[in-house]
Amino acid sequence: MTHILFTISTAFMLGLTGLTFHRTHLLSALLCLEGMMLSLFIALAMWSTQNDMMIFSSSPLLLLALSACEAGLGLSLLVATSRTHGSDHLQNLNLLQC
Amino acid sequence: MVMMIVFSVMFLISLIAVASNPSPYFAALGLMIGAGVGCGMLTQFGMTFLSMILFLIYLGGMLVVFAYSAALAAEPYPSAWGSLEVFSYVVGYLMLVVVMWMLLVNDFGAFDEIEGCVMSVRRYVGVSEMYNAGGYMLLVAGWVLLVALLVVLELTRGFGRGCLRAV
Repeated sequence: MTHILFTISTAFMLGLTGLTFHRTHLLSALLCLEGMMLSLFIALAMWSTQNDMMIFSSSPLLLLALSACEAGLGLSLLVATSRTHGSDHLQNLNLLQC
Repeated sequence: MVMMIVFSVMFLISLIAVASNPSPYFAALGLMIGAGVGCGMLTQFGMTFLSMILFLIYLGGMLVVFAYSAALAAEPYPSAWGSLEVFSYVVGYLMLVVVMWMLLVNDFGAFDEIEGCVMSVRRYVGVSEMYNAGGYMLLVAGWVLLVALLVVLELTRGFGRGCLRAV
């Protein structure tokens, strides 16, 4: 495995574990999601360079546009949570807890 | 080639700093450093335009909005990477990454790195194909952005969920 492929995949897995083992804040889980998107952007850009097919260079751009939409939606959910629950602590989101 | 290894290691360290879940201020700082180093990685490969796009849109757009939202997560004693819970996560992730590097990485081959010539004209052609062959994807992306705007407006509508509040 080349070190670049290792970097990209490990960065994605690190963001995924950070998203899974979240602690207190919803915002830190959203930031781990952004870290995953960053690793995917770099992976797509390097993939198009490595295969010498320059047409695929537009795919990181489109990924970034959709990831910006996702980040905006996550942040609006954060704002709504902060208004209804008082803070963005994940332990307060226990409406479905029996 | 040394710069690529340095950038790769710094990228992994900054994402470890994000994934260990400190207070959101420090996680955003780690993500900014990671995005800057990622731009360096892209520049080493000659994708200078994509590096600029990453810097502009990601750092200048998205992370600024994240920094503003971190004001909602304000706490009097934010836990940085020195506190015990976060530091144990950092040490665990570091050991995991180091062991996986030792086991898996066996090829430091430099593929298609441009040394000495950073500006390369043929790299620009690919992104502009978004207007030619990828016209429909451009339409879809624009439509998705519009719909996301309306969804954000709908999610934060109402007196109990809006972002303007009497402090």
